Amino acid sequence: MEFGPIFRSLLRNRARVVLIVAEVALTLAIVANCMSLILDTRAQLSRESGFDDDHMALIYTAPFAESLNQQAALDQLVDSDLRTLRALPGVRAASNTNLEPWEPGGSITAIRVPGTRGEPLRTQFYSADPAVFDALGIHVVQGRGFTQDEFEHGASAGPSETLPVVISKRLADVAFPDGKAVGRELAFPDESQRLLVVGLVDRFYKPLGTAPDRVMLTPGRTVSFDYGSTYLVRTEGDPGALLPQMEKALVGAEKGRFLRMRTVTELREEFHGRDRLLVASLNGVMALLVLVTALGIVGLTSFSVAERRRQIGTRRALGADKASIVRHFLLENWMVTSLGVVLGAALAYGLNFGLVTWVAGARLSVPVVAAGALGLWLIGIASALGPALRGAQVPPAIATRNV
Amino acid sequence: MLLYNLRLAWKSVRRHPVLSVLIIVGIALGVGVSTTFITAYHVLASDPVPGKSGVLHYVRINSWGAPDNPFREGPPPLLSFRDVREFLKSGIPVRSTASFASRMTIFPTNSPANSPAKAQERPFRENVLLTTSDFFAMFDVPFQYGGTWGAAADAKPEAVAVISAALNDRLFGGRNSVGRTFRLDDRDFKVAGVLAPWRPRVRGYDLAGEPLDQPESVFMPLELTGPMEIRVSGSQYTWRTPEPGEENLPFIDKLVLGEVLFLQLWVELPDEGRVKSFQGYLDAYVAEQKKLGRFPHKADNRVTPLLDLMTELRVVPPQTKALAAISLLFLVVAALNLIGLFLGKFLARASTVGVRRALGASRGTIFLQHLVECELMGLAGGLLGVLMALGGLAILNRVYGDGPEGVAFFQLDLPMVLAAVVLSLAAGAIAGIYPAWRICAIPPARHLKNQ
Repeated sequence: MEFGPIFRSLLRNRARVVLIVAEVALTLAIVANCMSLILDTRAQLSRESGFDDDHMALIYTAPFAESLNQQAALDQLVDSDLRTLRALPGVRAASNTNLEPWEPGGSITAIRVPGTRGEPLRTQFYSADPAVFDALGIHVVQGRGFTQDEFEHGASAGPSETLPVVISKRLADVAFPDGKAVGRELAFPDESQRLLVVGLVDRFYKPLGTAPDRVMLTPGRTVSFDYGSTYLVRTEGDPGALLPQMEKALVGAEKGRFLRMRTVTELREEFHGRDRLLVASLNGVMALLVLVTALGIVGLTSFSVAERRRQIGTRRALGADKASIVRHFLLENWMVTSLGVVLGAALAYGLNFGLVTWVAGARLSVPVVAAGALGLWLIGIASALGPALRGAQVPPAIATRNV
Repeated sequence: MLLYNLRLAWKSVRRHPVLSVLIIVGIALGVGVSTTFITAYHVLASDPVPGKSGVLHYVRINSWGAPDNPFREGPPPLLSFRDVREFLKSGIPVRSTASFASRMTIFPTNSPANSPAKAQERPFRENVLLTTSDFFAMFDVPFQYGGTWGAAADAKPEAVAVISAALNDRLFGGRNSVGRTFRLDDRDFKVAGVLAPWRPRVRGYDLAGEPLDQPESVFMPLELTGPMEIRVSGSQYTWRTPEPGEENLPFIDKLVLGEVLFLQLWVELPDEGRVKSFQGYLDAYVAEQKKLGRFPHKADNRVTPLLDLMTELRVVPPQTKALAAISLLFLVVAALNLIGLFLGKFLARASTVGVRRALGASRGTIFLQHLVECELMGLAGGLLGVLMALGGLAILNRVYGDGPEGVAFFQLDLPMVLAAVVLSLAAGAIAGIYPAWRICAIPPARHLKNQ
């Protein structure tokens, strides 16, 4: 083929070669790192809670009326609120709990298997009523949930009593590697209170600290004058449509408090907001960058075609067909782009090293670099196709003409 | 001469409209993308208390009391009331302040100064910062009316408050309300001062909490926590299990005895000597407490300057930094691209230049002519890029949210606009020098031969 002549002609147009190589190399380095950041973030975005997110809403109440400033009144209000909510058409389940799916906050505690030494286990820790499993849309896969008696008794249980708890399977696997968790005991690290595992739930995910998939639920009301109470409601259809009715019903029951209502999908979107923004920004930067580079290659190739119109005419007059002219420019471009891609792969690892060391990011994986390289290579050749085809249209007669 | 060059440049733009648009859009994209993400970085990373951040220090000690310590990378980020009360007494700092956030209820109906129309208004919840009188001077908080409460009000404590401009608008119609009262939870509070509209992008005083949130609407003396039984709304860490009988103690005793960690403490130490002596004071305090049986873990007493704490707690999300770095490289690619486009554009008119040179134009003249053209395109691209950055920031603001007065979180300030314009001129110059040099280096004879 014509490698030799093309290579020698490239040597005579060093500026153009250097520009394309540099542009392709830098673009590949940036694109590969962007893609690696995107993949890393996407993995987090796609984790599912395991709950029935699309049919859940959270209602936060905050009492202010002085008449509510006593625990008995608040406890009664929780019970009547739950009855009110459950009576609404379209409501599948309602639960009083401080487990708030996709809220950024939560509570974490340490526990251990009684009698063991060493590092205690960290787990999320919430109280709930017997309806919590139904309200989350998860099942107790082993053992049982809570009874109404346990719930009623929960808040007044003394430290000497053993509290029933339901834990997630992930927590059970670490605490009891033999697989038999139900019926066994756990305790707080100072062994101030014993906990009896009565049941296991399988699916649980709430990003919080180092224990996103570990949870321990204990029966009991969660309501106080200062912190109010939270209800988790699961609906048949779109929970957003039911919010006004719920608000009306709860305000009708008691006016001396504030209500705030959010669907769980809203909370999830908020939780993911900045990560989504990052992915969108990276995608935008990548798309614009590839566009700019492609335009650059089109421009430089057009220019090199325009500059060599007389040479093309001469070659055509000497018998070269159109296809060989196109081939010439594509080959030339292929050589330059390939050089850029090779340098770019090296540069990508360099940039990645810098980002991981000084800023942030995930280590670059080979498939990502390979995919980026292949993509850029195709884009490079596609960008050269237009100008090359135009070059092939140069009539042979131009060789004989003065411009 | 400049005018003549500008006219030539304008003619050249008109002769190749498509290519010119490509060039301008190319610069605009580079400037727009990099300005957007550098602004985002600049807003988050810039000094939250300019001029004072060097003297403000954050105090931490390793006060976790349970055998199992969840804090691996240093002491817990927050302090207990018991220790903070002690530290606030130290005379070494010029000023010192501690704070925590809560949510409380405001009853407009009970505000004596309200108009009848407002009497119908339902109570509402506001974020409250429990702090001390030094807070405002330490963090350069701007006042519209009045000022901070006095040290006496801290000690007693009195029901006095400083309120935000927005709350003053809502409660008092924006008038000077110093000395008026409003109802907060179960007490009437006297207004000591009203802040000017204040929306720091990074709340310097809450780096260990929610640094990007809006400031609270009400500021009141920390020691009211006990009498008013105020609960913490932010992070708190507890390790101690209450002993039997403790549940009947007064609220504040439970809080102090319970060693709940919920306070952030800042001290103002204007020179190295005071930093050293405060560190010494802290070490001595911890050693003494260890003798009393507190603080079972290894002593780790830290007095950290504000900017160092920002870095340590990663107040600027690392992804924002990565994007700023990536967007700068984008600008480099855009500039490379520009060189190619200019080269093509200029060399296409080599013959015209040949004629001008033959007629006596010097190399310098030709060089200048082309550089002026590059700068013209650079400027146009830069201005378009600033518009693009405004659009980009508007998208970012949709997620980061607006302030209470409708102030967008990320805003393009004048220095950033100037930086963008300078950046685009620099891009035009850097990209233009080589093509302009190539075109003026061409010997005129070669292009005259064929004419």
